[in-house]
Amino acid sequence: MNGQDPVRAQDLVAGYGTGEIVKSVSCSFTKGTFTGIIGPNGSGKTTLLRAISRVIPSGGILELDGRPVSGYTPAELGAALGFVPQDEDRPFSYTVLQVVLMSRYARASRFASLSRDDYARCYHALDRTGITHLKDRSIRALSGGEWQRVLIARALAQDTPVILLDEPTSHLDLAHQAGILTLVRDLARSGRTVVGVFHDLNLALQYCDRLLMIQGGHIVADGVPGEVLTPEKVREVYGAEVITTSHPATGRTILVPLDTRNTGAGSFEKPKVLVISGGGSGGDLLRFLCRNGYAVSAGILATTDSDYAVAKALEIPCIPVLPFSQIPAHALEKLKRLAVQADRIVLSVHPVGTGNYPVLEILQGMEPGRLVIHLPDGREFSSYDFTRGKAASAYAALCTAGVSCTGTYDGILAILEGNPGTPLESSVNIP
Amino acid sequence: MTRTIPVITGLIIAAALTIIVCTFTGPAGFGFVTTAPGAADIVGGIRLPRVLAAFFVGASLAVAGAAMQALFRNPMADPYILGTSSGGALGASLAIVLLGGLFVPLFAWIGAVAAILVVWLIAGRSGVISTETLLLIGIAVSFFFSAIVSFLIAVAGQNVHQILFWLMGGFWNASMDNAVLATAILVPAGILLFLMGRDLNALSLGEETAAHLGIDATRARWTVLGGSTLLVAGAVSIAGSIGFVGLVTPHIVRMLLGPDNRVVIPAAILAGGILLVLSDTLARTFFADLPVGIITAFIGAPFFIWLIYRRGSVA
Repeated sequence: MNGQDPVRAQDLVAGYGTGEIVKSVSCSFTKGTFTGIIGPNGSGKTTLLRAISRVIPSGGILELDGRPVSGYTPAELGAALGFVPQDEDRPFSYTVLQVVLMSRYARASRFASLSRDDYARCYHALDRTGITHLKDRSIRALSGGEWQRVLIARALAQDTPVILLDEPTSHLDLAHQAGILTLVRDLARSGRTVVGVFHDLNLALQYCDRLLMIQGGHIVADGVPGEVLTPEKVREVYGAEVITTSHPATGRTILVPLDTRNTGAGSFEKPKVLVISGGGSGGDLLRFLCRNGYAVSAGILATTDSDYAVAKALEIPCIPVLPFSQIPAHALEKLKRLAVQADRIVLSVHPVGTGNYPVLEILQGMEPGRLVIHLPDGREFSSYDFTRGKAASAYAALCTAGVSCTGTYDGILAILEGNPGTPLESSVNIP
Repeated sequence: MTRTIPVITGLIIAAALTIIVCTFTGPAGFGFVTTAPGAADIVGGIRLPRVLAAFFVGASLAVAGAAMQALFRNPMADPYILGTSSGGALGASLAIVLLGGLFVPLFAWIGAVAAILVVWLIAGRSGVISTETLLLIGIAVSFFFSAIVSFLIAVAGQNVHQILFWLMGGFWNASMDNAVLATAILVPAGILLFLMGRDLNALSLGEETAAHLGIDATRARWTVLGGSTLLVAGAVSIAGSIGFVGLVTPHIVRMLLGPDNRVVIPAAILAGGILLVLSDTLARTFFADLPVGIITAFIGAPFFIWLIYRRGSVA
């Protein structure tokens, strides 16, 4: 907490009569920073913003430029702090320019017209938000996105050192989202204090300098965006499963929601399927089986293998090994145990060299009825053979021993569902 | 709006012409120069006060209507929305029933102001209140007062006719004093509302918006309500509760000039005055002095519908 910060709240409490929604929040916002407030629905992020803007009463200490906000006159507050609402009623047909000009009202005398300077600032704001062509249009004739840009233009023309935005881009299309958020970030760069409530976490990650995460009216995380929004934190606060990756151009974190999860892991009801794959052959298959509700596990996977990345993201248990080396004996032992525990084993045909040949030997020792081979249509075993014929004949031997072989995922599904195999041992998994 | 200046100028000329022409028009005939015996009394003693009273009452209702619509962000709001007319009706009915018709204007004024005060007190009790709550309290108080008026009508006996006529509104008893009173209220209150024009613009997008734009929304709200109440109570005490002028005039003005209240307020003053003078002249000249409220609605409603139909929009 810094005494120089333009906005400072301490033990801030706010709500709407019936109860507190913001409960004892202490935070401050720094000049030149674009801070995002994030949190699940009903967490109190908009309430916090409205409490800072003084339109709802609050308890605790709230200071603007080191002075308690309660000492500000409405006009002083209007000159110090701008607010962009998410939406606003449009009961009358004002023109866009008339609405933007309202930003200058508090500075103008009742007895005079608005000045040339007022108009110049408004035209500039219209220009920066790209709506100059709409200036004489009735606000009732605007789309939601155009209206949102008018509200942003109005706050720009208000020319305040602090700008608060409540989901400023919720009605905008992709191009305008980027345009407006870049504009807002530039405002921060030019020395303003900008605070925005975000529903879209990825937008917050891409544009904010700092994120404040709110849950149940309390701040639960505060810091650099990529450090605040970890998959663990998102699961804890939002109850959502995500994985993170990074923006190829900016390097900033991106969250990707996971709809396919290994939800069946550890459950008794769903058949346990072990997928033996490698060299990227099994990634899609792992996702496919997870989506279809199987308790999936994976075999031995090199940590550089894309199959390994998929297994990790989907939280599928597997046996990681170093790439380009002989598979260690303990990994093979582990694979044997997994194979015994699984109800069914799907062998996704993959390149086999001397390094991973022992895996095929283990499979040859399994009961053929529990095995399914997935060989993509139009491919032959020989094209996966890097052992001068040994692997190809091992694959072929599995087929002649009575293992079902299919070329499609639906084929795998049909085999898995049509003929439930009998496990050698009863399951030892604990749910 | 480039149209503003020509339209306002046109309205000023139309208002002057309306006042002059209507003063020389009536059931006794028309004429600027008349030497008939009693003409001077009819024109100066009866018609002129009546025309002036009608003009200023119409102006008061229209400007209060414009302010209420902006304040409540509701194009259906009219100047009576917080119970002024039912309060005035109650006051007038009490005077008619209990005092045999003495002090009707005074009682109407007291009733109108009392209605607003009741709304204000109830609203003030609940601390910070929204405009919507205020509106609902106003409607509730309005219905309550109307119920008492209905009761008085039911037990009034031979005074029923008098109460009903008062409820429909008219200028039968207009005197120069009425005209002066209406002017004395309209001039300061009209100027006040004009000066609040920008505040009204901001308030018409919402009180929070107004506050974010640096406007003292609470003070602006009560100032506008106070000014409007004085205007409407004055109008009600002079002419009863004349409907439609206060609801429709602001719409007509906005259709012509847009919704900027710095323009709507002065234009509504002129247009409301013109409309009510014309309606009253029609009423007394061709319709045997029917209550003017009948004329305003009878002619105003089709005209309004035609306007909506032509413009395809209301606000």
